[in-house]
Amino acid sequence: MRNLNLLFFLLLALHLSSVLSWKKDEFRNCNQTPFCKRARARKPGSCSLIARDVTISDGDLVAKLLPKNPANEEDRDEIKPLILSLSVYQDGILRLKIDEDPSLGPPKKRFEVPDVIVPEFSSKKLWLHRLSTETINGDAVPSSVVYLSNGYEAVLRHDPFEVYVREKGSGHRVISLNSHGLFDFEQLKSKGEGEDWEERFRGHTDRRPYGPQSISFDVSFYSADFVYGIPEHATSLSLKPTRGPGVEDSEPYRLFNLDVFEYIHDSPFGLYGSIPFMISHGKSLGTTGFFWLNAAEMQIDVMGAGWDAESGISLPSEKSRIDTFWMSEAGIVDAFFFVGPGPKDVVRQYTSVTGLPPMPQLFATAYHQCRWNYRDEEDVDHVDSKFDEHDIPYDVLWLDIEHTDGKRYFTWDKMLFPHPEEMQRKLAAKGRHMVTIVDPHIKRDESYHVHKEATQKGYYVKDANGNDFDGWCWPGSSSYPDILNPEIRSWWADRFSFENYVGTTPSLYIWNDMNEPSVFNGPELTMPRDSLHYGGVENRELHNAYGYYFHMATADGLVKRGEGKDRPFVLSRAFFAGSQRYGAVWTGDNSAEWDHLRVSVPMILTLGLTGMSFSGADVGGFFGNPEPELLVRWYQLGAFYPFFRGHAHQDTKRREPWLFGERNTELIRDAIHIRYMLLPYFYTLFREASTSGVPVVRPLWMEFPYEEATFSNDEAFMVGNSILVQGIYTEKAKHASVYLPGRQSWYDLRTGTSYKGGMTHKLRISEDSVPAFQRSGTIIPRKDRFRRSSTQMVNDPYTLVIALNSSRAAEGELYVDDGKSFDFEHGTYIHRRFVFSDGKLTSVNMAPTSPGKSRFSLEAVVERIILLGHPHGHKSALIEPTNHKVDVELGPLGLQWGGSSAVVTIRKPGVQIADDWTIKIL
Amino acid sequence: MKPSLFGIISLVLCLCSLSLISPIVVRSVSAYPLHPKDSIFGIAPEDEKYYKTSSDLVSCKDGSKKFTKAQLNDDFCDCPDGTDEPGGISYVQPMKLEVHDISLIALEIGLICDIVPEVVIANCCDGSDEYDGKVKCPNTCWEAGKVARDKLKKKITTYQEGIALRRQEIEQAKLSLAKDEAELSKLKNEEKILKGLVQQLRERKEEIEKAEEKERLLKERKEKERKEAEEKANEENNKAEQETNQEIGKAEEKTYSDEKATESLHDDEIGVLEDLPPDQDVADENDESAAEAEHGDSSGNERSLVNGVEENAAEAKEESSVLPDSGSKGNDISENTEGLSKEELGRLVASRWTGDNTAKQTEEVDDAKDRDHAEHEEMPGGTHDEEYDGYASETDNENERYDHDNDDVEDEIDDDFREDDHDDSSSSYISDSENELDLSDITTASNPSWLEKIQKTVQNILRAVNLFQTPVNQSESAHVRKEYDESSEKLSKIQSRISSLSQKLKYDFGPEKEFYSFYGRCFESKQNKYVYKVCPFKHASQEEGHSTTRLGRWDKFEDSYKVMIFSNGDKCWNGPDRSMKVKLRCGLKNEVADIDEPSRCEYVALLSTPALCREEKLKELEQKVESMNKEQPQSRDEL
Repeated sequence: MRNLNLLFFLLLALHLSSVLSWKKDEFRNCNQTPFCKRARARKPGSCSLIARDVTISDGDLVAKLLPKNPANEEDRDEIKPLILSLSVYQDGILRLKIDEDPSLGPPKKRFEVPDVIVPEFSSKKLWLHRLSTETINGDAVPSSVVYLSNGYEAVLRHDPFEVYVREKGSGHRVISLNSHGLFDFEQLKSKGEGEDWEERFRGHTDRRPYGPQSISFDVSFYSADFVYGIPEHATSLSLKPTRGPGVEDSEPYRLFNLDVFEYIHDSPFGLYGSIPFMISHGKSLGTTGFFWLNAAEMQIDVMGAGWDAESGISLPSEKSRIDTFWMSEAGIVDAFFFVGPGPKDVVRQYTSVTGLPPMPQLFATAYHQCRWNYRDEEDVDHVDSKFDEHDIPYDVLWLDIEHTDGKRYFTWDKMLFPHPEEMQRKLAAKGRHMVTIVDPHIKRDESYHVHKEATQKGYYVKDANGNDFDGWCWPGSSSYPDILNPEIRSWWADRFSFENYVGTTPSLYIWNDMNEPSVFNGPELTMPRDSLHYGGVENRELHNAYGYYFHMATADGLVKRGEGKDRPFVLSRAFFAGSQRYGAVWTGDNSAEWDHLRVSVPMILTLGLTGMSFSGADVGGFFGNPEPELLVRWYQLGAFYPFFRGHAHQDTKRREPWLFGERNTELIRDAIHIRYMLLPYFYTLFREASTSGVPVVRPLWMEFPYEEATFSNDEAFMVGNSILVQGIYTEKAKHASVYLPGRQSWYDLRTGTSYKGGMTHKLRISEDSVPAFQRSGTIIPRKDRFRRSSTQMVNDPYTLVIALNSSRAAEGELYVDDGKSFDFEHGTYIHRRFVFSDGKLTSVNMAPTSPGKSRFSLEAVVERIILLGHPHGHKSALIEPTNHKVDVELGPLGLQWGGSSAVVTIRKPGVQIADDWTIKIL
Repeated sequence: MKPSLFGIISLVLCLCSLSLISPIVVRSVSAYPLHPKDSIFGIAPEDEKYYKTSSDLVSCKDGSKKFTKAQLNDDFCDCPDGTDEPGGISYVQPMKLEVHDISLIALEIGLICDIVPEVVIANCCDGSDEYDGKVKCPNTCWEAGKVARDKLKKKITTYQEGIALRRQEIEQAKLSLAKDEAELSKLKNEEKILKGLVQQLRERKEEIEKAEEKERLLKERKEKERKEAEEKANEENNKAEQETNQEIGKAEEKTYSDEKATESLHDDEIGVLEDLPPDQDVADENDESAAEAEHGDSSGNERSLVNGVEENAAEAKEESSVLPDSGSKGNDISENTEGLSKEELGRLVASRWTGDNTAKQTEEVDDAKDRDHAEHEEMPGGTHDEEYDGYASETDNENERYDHDNDDVEDEIDDDFREDDHDDSSSSYISDSENELDLSDITTASNPSWLEKIQKTVQNILRAVNLFQTPVNQSESAHVRKEYDESSEKLSKIQSRISSLSQKLKYDFGPEKEFYSFYGRCFESKQNKYVYKVCPFKHASQEEGHSTTRLGRWDKFEDSYKVMIFSNGDKCWNGPDRSMKVKLRCGLKNEVADIDEPSRCEYVALLSTPALCREEKLKELEQKVESMNKEQPQSRDEL
């Protein structure tokens, strides 16, 4: 009894302490990570490499990197040079690769991340054939210079070794690598006598059979005021320095995909996903980007000004340069420099390498209702009907892990969900969809068909001994498909067919959680680094991309399931560079705290900057119970997230929108209604993202790159180029300071009140909404009639809201397609451009009109046109080509917002949205 | 309802306005196949005047602006409140409404139909409506409304019968209450008398015992003298063997003193017991009385056991307060986790998210412990120490049997209870038979003169043994002891009955005592793998196999006796203590249904009972159905 008691209380004690919060000590910090500690200790100028044998080969510049003065003359033969290559691609992209020389027989081929660079990218390569040399700034040895783009050149400095991009003509540096001589490349070697390569952390041993193999180097951004990017961290949009004078002891920004329990809202600690892409922005030189394609653990320091004061290294353009230091545990150098010069250019350049986000399912851009867990079919039915009862639209109902039969994915708990197909059909009848969760941990249960098959086929990741890796996750003992292998990905994709995933219907889509992967009893709650993947690749080498391949395979599965006719929808928690091609991501297990609401904005903006335009945070916060006010504010802000989903932990109180009293229900309904009104605008923005990489929500500086006041603003953001939203992040806020950029004025989205641009306004805040404004000079398409779900709104009439600028002009776009198939790829869509000038609104076709192609037909009209900033007094408008007149009068800006505001309204123009027409105000 | 009719119509019809009372109706209306030419469509007869003005302009009801008659029902909202679109704003619904929607709508229709039949016609209860002016919707409203009306009628019948039942219940309750109160006062009376008797008996017993003691000591002294005499004789005879004998003497001495110690200990024990208040007396080793007073015996053991367990619990508590401390020295679980197996670590980490999922093992121990403690503290005849940590299923079973025993009345013992059939699937039963508590020998009904009998017996005894001599008559003293034991046991039974009755009478049984019969009863409902038990005034629990989770202890009625609250149930991991809200509604039988856990660890259930069939509500329903029938459309063509 005593023993039992003891054990019990011991467990209880563990239990209690584990409830408290983020377990920092469970994760390695830089000092506990040998490669990071070594790299951080290195002094500027310690790199002794020089470039030799520089030539042009196969359209690339190639060279060898060798130490300048080997410590020992006799060792000369022993030295293995590194192979460097520089390639140039269209649109101002420079690629630098550095690897060991394969002809010298290294013990192992170092891992290059496959399937991230889109295949089309290789066709954009510019074949170099001329190499010029130039002695720069009194160097002893000349440097090699190659053409990069119209305004830029790439330079390889031979001695000391350095790579940089400069402006042609002025010679101003834009971005450089190894300017501080911190480059280091640990080449693979055979284990020496008595050498211990093992690493231990909290009872876990990493055998490290290949020894130290890390890479590190410094990258400098010139004329940069701030650097951004490298998600995922819960931190500010502009990255704060982590080293240098005046910087408190800080960890570097870590990129290592981890399942972090109750993460904190301000930390450089790495979360669920990793994108090693950094963007700098400055007023004078614009925007540049640097991307290192490497899936091993990475640590990145942003250096504070003056960190190198004692190094004796002096670089040109000392002013407002930002130095960064990049360290990775393994892999090779495969780095991309993007010259910009505008923010949208950099994003376009980056997505030309890693891919564009595809058009999502229309329904996925609407509101999602999730909870861990909707218990059973009755619960689903109940929640669904409550939305109708309370007149709140929603599109997707989600089922978390409890819907399965004992956490065996692709199955249903027969007790709770005896009729899954019927349940989905009921939702589908209202145009609604369902999402179920499918995680990568497969329950090790002989009677579970997925496990049986994966075991038989040898499809699991192996442990260091070559046995199927066995880790602990939701189902208990689990194994993980080796998703790096294309054959296994294909097998995985087939799991989603209607035959294999019994109980699913075409209205069901998928959610991938825990794909970092999360391993509860693994080191740092993930897979041991010495686990083995396809081709003998260690997990340490591809770790950050595991979730990416998993997301990819799942999305491919849905495409296969739909026979290539239905767009996939897969939400993933883990991500890597390129994940934007496979669906949406969210910011994981946040908390119901104002600080988490606040940090969701920089997190989502950062994701957008790095290609992940379809992202969101759990509305309401995953852990904990939000006060109604916080929940309402979260809905009001979340309605503008690209991905808009309410979600909650199973231990939290129910928080469906109608549970907090009539007034709060009304406020939440109103917030969700705004999203539904703006769906045509959002969908058009998704189209823009899918063609240019420019994200749906953007930092202000992306739209106003010359306004310094916007550079570090991450309280407000732009939705497309037309709407500015400012979150309210404090309780009982009465006022908010909102900076409205630009010279043009802004119109309150709900009242139409105009505000001057280029200044900070102190605004009174009501509980009704968060501040949101339409930028003048823009036209926003809306749909103002509320239905149960977005799919029920297809044929609803449009409202166009025109905010005129000081020259009484405005323009905007509308993109419409069937919202679900790939037909748009063949031109089956409507794309209109609306231009208002000289008192006349014109709708211009932007879709291809080649004959023979089927046109997307839509029987929807424009029922209302609202003109903000237009003087009243006009009585009618003339519509051409039909030549009929309609009334112009004063009307409300939004019907649900009461009749207080009266704005100039063209009443019932009745023109077809798909047609060419003009409307002239008489 | 009538006074607000106008308001309702405008709300229902004005689609532009989004603050609608009933969204279902809104959708129904919005799906209406608008007849473009019929501009007065959707206008309620009472409202026609509003629109029939001589001028061409009509005001929006919110006063915000005016609209022309041409703009009436032109599928464009001019008024923010929708005055200009009484027929609703149309749209092309790409998908048909599914039939399952109808049931939801039907109830609303039942009401709406009466007000503006044409709007409901528009709703196409069969889901065939699509706006393009081409589809004609049949008026299925009256039919659809029929469902609602029938439902209502059924409800009325239930109420009518229920009210009768309720009246009976109240009558019964009054009787029971009177009976209980009478019993209580009678018992109190008896208690007083019996107390006196027990006191007398005890004094007599003590006297006897004192005398016996004296006698015994006398005997011992005589024995000693005899022995000493013998020894003297022996001494003279065997001087040579003195040394050996010395040792033997020592040994004998030792045995003797041991014996003595035992005896005195025995005396002490009796003394202690005698000092206890009579109701807590425990039968002594007298076999006869022990057999008779089995209950008293077991209850006594139980009591001492309880104390023991409480000590254990206290010890355990100490441990628990110490252990986390030592754990928190590391301020982190790192040191501890390294000692765990891979599986333990996995479970531990998973439990951060779930608390109960993967950490089930721990929690089960936890729960079991808690339950054990609880039962030891509260339940009679619980487990004993060996079973305590063994947690055998047998024990468990037994615990379960007691689970719906009385928490509040401490010394309850009941025989009938054991006969209670727990496999019975009936949803309601008497949880413990307090009312039929085994007081057969003392209950007034069965034996009115028992007290007199005892009184007489005691008098006889006292008289008979009044002048006892030594040696004490063995049978006499046994008789006194027996009488004393029996009487004190009876007293303790009466006292416990008094305490349980007064406990019971403290509860709030409703304004008309209509919940009186709920006391001591449990209602159960099986849902999937769980059996839920609701025991009003006591507790609510959820049972799965052998494990029982307490969902709450009786707290109070709420919402003017329409809701029962059970609170402070078993602790929820990372959450609140479990609690349960039982909503009461009118029904002919006492039945629990629809148990749900809308929020984690917050349960709700429905209990239908005649106690809720109130006459005021019946009247309301009757009015409603009357007004519905009145509104039947004679012919909708005239509209």
